[in-house]
Amino acid sequence: MIEQFIPAGSTYAGNIDGQIDLIFVLVGFWFILSEAIFFGLIFRFRKKQGQPAEYITGEEKSQKRWITVPHFLVLVCDVFIIWGAINVWYHVKQELPPAQETVRIIGQQWTWTFVHPGPDKQLGTADDIAKVNELHLKVDTTYHFKLEARDVVHSFSVPVFRLKQDAIPGRVITGWFEPTLTGEFDIQCAEMCGIGHGLMGAKLSVESAAEHAAWVASESPLELAAANMPQLAVEE
Amino acid sequence: MRMTLTRTLVASITTLLVAAFALPVAAADGRGEQLFELCAQCHGSAAEGNQMTLAPAIAGLDEWYVEAQLNYFRNGARGLHPGDTGGMRMYPMSIWLSTDEDVKAVAGYVASLPRANPTPVLEGGDAAKGSAFYLVCATCHGQEGGGDPEKNSPPLRGANDWYLLSSLEKYKAKIRGGSPLNPNAVVMQGTVNILPDAQAMRDVVAHIMTLSE
Repeated sequence: MIEQFIPAGSTYAGNIDGQIDLIFVLVGFWFILSEAIFFGLIFRFRKKQGQPAEYITGEEKSQKRWITVPHFLVLVCDVFIIWGAINVWYHVKQELPPAQETVRIIGQQWTWTFVHPGPDKQLGTADDIAKVNELHLKVDTTYHFKLEARDVVHSFSVPVFRLKQDAIPGRVITGWFEPTLTGEFDIQCAEMCGIGHGLMGAKLSVESAAEHAAWVASESPLELAAANMPQLAVEE
Repeated sequence: MRMTLTRTLVASITTLLVAAFALPVAAADGRGEQLFELCAQCHGSAAEGNQMTLAPAIAGLDEWYVEAQLNYFRNGARGLHPGDTGGMRMYPMSIWLSTDEDVKAVAGYVASLPRANPTPVLEGGDAAKGSAFYLVCATCHGQEGGGDPEKNSPPLRGANDWYLLSSLEKYKAKIRGGSPLNPNAVVMQGTVNILPDAQAMRDVVAHIMTLSE
């Protein structure tokens, strides 16, 4: 349903969309049913000639059932939602499939720096390619990301991946994604980080293997030490 | 009576027309100051600079220089190197200025502010030794550090010492000045090689700060 509005561009985007769809359907069902009963009762017991209004205390069993029965049914629905949410959370945040490549992502007021592995496909080596506000990925490849923040809390948000992860100063947060769609997509900061927060966007390019190899070959590495960016020790 | 009514009508319409045309003019006049509200968040309300936000004093800089630097940021010639922390902060701010007119307006406003003479914060520089190095700088920036628009050289006098030092360090590390879109910065990247080490940079900055006095 959500992919009608924004494409699902990662292997787990469908899991997150499915969870949102489940919540939408269950909550939508109860919303429509309760509103229908509510307005039905209003209509049925509307003002009638010669019929005085009656005050109901809601203490009788037959009256309390209107609350308790839907309450327990909604709780049953909650079990499904929570079960689904735990599964999705575990898959996206707790599992870490083996990485084919790793990228380093650094948020600072108000730009993103992406350090890509160079031709040796290893991060933390001299041929790394650092780009500001440009992330280049190869489609159908499992990536680990190492997320850092230089100054304040940022949040690395890639709507097309359905990914949002806070970046905390002083910590290196590891996560993963596997792009499934080629094309250009948006990256944004999703945590208020100062006056330039609204302008802290970047471009994600997901390329075919051949296009990505051509891009890597066309870029020259930056001297990261000179750029005041200590090399990150990456455990593969 | 009829004449008085006609005169009143004509006078009222004329006043309304004058007011209607005068309003946009007044707004346009204050455009630079209005835009500067955003810049002031980091550079300070008097554009006096703030080391905490890595924003240098820009008050009273030449309009051509402010405009050129804003355009370098806007077209990515400056502020897109991963080592340029301050520049990367400035880059998104510059793209917020969506038109050339806005860039000119804010540059004009910054130029109209009285030049700040910031207090030095760096220690360990030897101004006497720095004066020897400065002879090379003076060929473009002037003996008194007043800059030279014909050589696209900004004034150094009145700048923050921490900003001058960080700029020299960035040129030296090739963090700044690598874009062919900004040939003057490319020249700076080469010229900074006359300063052999970190101490020489501090020395020449110490000398420039004597020009500010």
